Amino acid sequence: MHRILVDFIKVLRNADIKVSPAETLDAMQVMEVIGARDRRLLKHSLSITLSKTPEEKETFNQCFEKYFSFANHHEANEKRGSAYGLDHDTKKGSETEETSKTNQQSGGQGNGQINSWDEEEETNKSLEATSHLGKLLLSKDKTAVMMFVVKAGREIELNQIRFFTQKGTYTRKIMDSMGLKDLQQEIGTLNTSGSRSEMLLAEKLKNSREQLRQRIREYVEKQFLLHADSSGKQLREELLKQIKLSNLEKRYFKDVRELVFKMAKKLVAVHSKRRKKFRRGQLDVRKTLRKNMQYDGMFFDIKWKASKVDRPKVICICDVSGSVSSYSRFLLMFLYSLSEILPKVRAFAFSSDLGEVTKLFEESTLEDALAKTMRDFGNGSTNYGQMLLDFKDQYMGDVNKKTSVIILGDGRNNYGDPQVEILHEIYEKAQRVIWLNPEAKTSWYMGDAEMKKYAPCCHQTEVCNSLTHLERVVSNLMRFSF
Amino acid sequence: MSIKTEDKLATIGIIEKNFESLNYICNTQIATAVFLAYHLEKPVLIEGPPGVGKTELAKTTAEMLSLPCVRLQCYEGLDESKAIYEWKYGKQLLYTQVLKETLSEILEGAKGLTQSVSKLHDFGDIFFSEQFLEPRPLLKALKEEQGCVLLIDEVDKSDHEFESLLLEMLSDFQLSIPEIGTVKAQADKKPLVFLTSNNTREISDALKRRCLHLYIPFPDADLEEKIVRARVPDISNKLRLQIVSFIQELREMDLKKVPAISETIDWARTLILLNTEILTPDLVRDTLNVILKFQEDIETVQSEIQTITNKALKEKDH
Repeated sequence: MHRILVDFIKVLRNADIKVSPAETLDAMQVMEVIGARDRRLLKHSLSITLSKTPEEKETFNQCFEKYFSFANHHEANEKRGSAYGLDHDTKKGSETEETSKTNQQSGGQGNGQINSWDEEEETNKSLEATSHLGKLLLSKDKTAVMMFVVKAGREIELNQIRFFTQKGTYTRKIMDSMGLKDLQQEIGTLNTSGSRSEMLLAEKLKNSREQLRQRIREYVEKQFLLHADSSGKQLREELLKQIKLSNLEKRYFKDVRELVFKMAKKLVAVHSKRRKKFRRGQLDVRKTLRKNMQYDGMFFDIKWKASKVDRPKVICICDVSGSVSSYSRFLLMFLYSLSEILPKVRAFAFSSDLGEVTKLFEESTLEDALAKTMRDFGNGSTNYGQMLLDFKDQYMGDVNKKTSVIILGDGRNNYGDPQVEILHEIYEKAQRVIWLNPEAKTSWYMGDAEMKKYAPCCHQTEVCNSLTHLERVVSNLMRFSF
Repeated sequence: MSIKTEDKLATIGIIEKNFESLNYICNTQIATAVFLAYHLEKPVLIEGPPGVGKTELAKTTAEMLSLPCVRLQCYEGLDESKAIYEWKYGKQLLYTQVLKETLSEILEGAKGLTQSVSKLHDFGDIFFSEQFLEPRPLLKALKEEQGCVLLIDEVDKSDHEFESLLLEMLSDFQLSIPEIGTVKAQADKKPLVFLTSNNTREISDALKRRCLHLYIPFPDADLEEKIVRARVPDISNKLRLQIVSFIQELREMDLKKVPAISETIDWARTLILLNTEILTPDLVRDTLNVILKFQEDIETVQSEIQTITNKALKEKDH
């Protein structure tokens, strides 16, 4: 039982549910308390123990259904019957001519399986199969057969399966380990014996052998999905890091968000280090007492419940003009997740005129917010000078020593007035100015790019067009703060 | 006492029934969580939208087991002096005064400074002792003689630091007080701990790892109907069905805050006060502020009232 559980947890981890060893132990305890008899109860209990967010719970349910599908494969087979019934029959027909008859009789609905299992039982009273596998197949106990399959699967280490090309091999291996050879021999001898009833039995055996093969194939398929996905996922993550952010699809957004989350956390950590002792506030009786004990209990040196954590204040300005159109999606994604994570992010977008989108981001979903921002501000021609002028007019007052200003853009100003002095003013007032530029460093100084002028007014300028870059920016941020 | 507790939590079915007799209708999942929490001695972290009965679950459990419910409401800035313990400073100060006066008696007969100091050391250190300790909810829960239900409400509202403070309590049912040592719960009287969270921020993995995690979603129509029946027994069958299907319909809409169970119950009570027999669009319009808490939401729903009400009325014909 423990073995099964450990395997199941491996599956959960593959599916991106974080299960710690401590939780594995918990799960084992749960199994001891509630047993494994009631499937629904088991599912609830394990779900409570192992999955810790609503998303994880959903994934958990899927994994549980897949993994423990044998426990009630009767139902499952009936439900899914029609789905693969056809496929099942044609394969069989091509492989053995005899079986096609019985299958046609029982109809191609997939219930065929169940019917034929029953038929065998009825007609088989006169003769007994001799081989172990044969006996098992002809007994009506499907659960026993499945248990046998699972056992065989474990023996040949089916959970090591990695590539879909291995499916055939593993199916064969399981068949072999279950004693296919003996069964074949038996069918052979029965066929040559000549008596009608024995021929009939041989036919039955053949028939159920094919059904068994089919089942094993499904089992292998499922196990493949459960076990082989992990290596695929690693591969994907590796790739993802190097993919240019302009190509990032929405489905990867989850991963982007995680990275941004890390980054934001670091930002917060940096900020909260700046604690200040206050000269007033609540009296810290404990500290005061301790301190003043040495003065004979006279309250001489008074201590306050001192430190107040600074809330980080981040102002983020994002270029969504035509020249960065391929990146703006990512930049906005970044902006959106940043404002989701940090409480006091003010988000701005511009092509030429600056507009605040903080409220929009707070209220809408990612898709909506992106679409609306692009509609309102997007794809015009860039004018950094105008943006900075707007910023100075309306928001300069909000910049102080606690503010970090992050600018996302390529710095291409269409040869307009760059208004560098405004950026310099921000630079002087803010705690930090960070410029993240999606273009490679070599093209920063070419054409209409004004990075040469802007860069000295930033505490930090970084190339940022892939997740690896983003990670690097995060670690640089860390270093910068000390 | 402990045998009684054991009985009440013997199987999941019994728990469900006991809850029902206390007018708390739950599904198997919730009962399973309580069952496991007791048998594994693990805290339960309950998450879900506001108003689905997270806090109520803890309170009902306490009532069911007839144990005291110790509640700690979390908020920003909550620290150990409010959650675990505080010294009784006034008494400590008085103690030092008394000590000063009696000092000569204690030191009587001591010759020289060394002897006096060693005599002082022999003298027990009462200044930091349990007598001067003011227990706060967490410590109180550990010291409760009969065991208790500890409810740490809205843990997501507290700071990260406080979360880490909870870890010792949650994994070992003990608390360390630097001046005294470790306070442990009695082995068979460990408190049954419930934490609730509205998910305003992500709870740290360390805390999650130590807890069983129960997610309570909005109930489906059947369950909600049962809940309303249990909570508002006076309501007529017809009206109850209509209310529930109306609310279920609202939850499908794109609202800032969808109505929760507590709103359904409030609404049912309101309608009884108004002697309502059947839901009408006008009536809904007048009482909409009971179930919707934002003006925007009310405006969104206003225009749809006719259709939703008709739908809800049809529901009863099924």
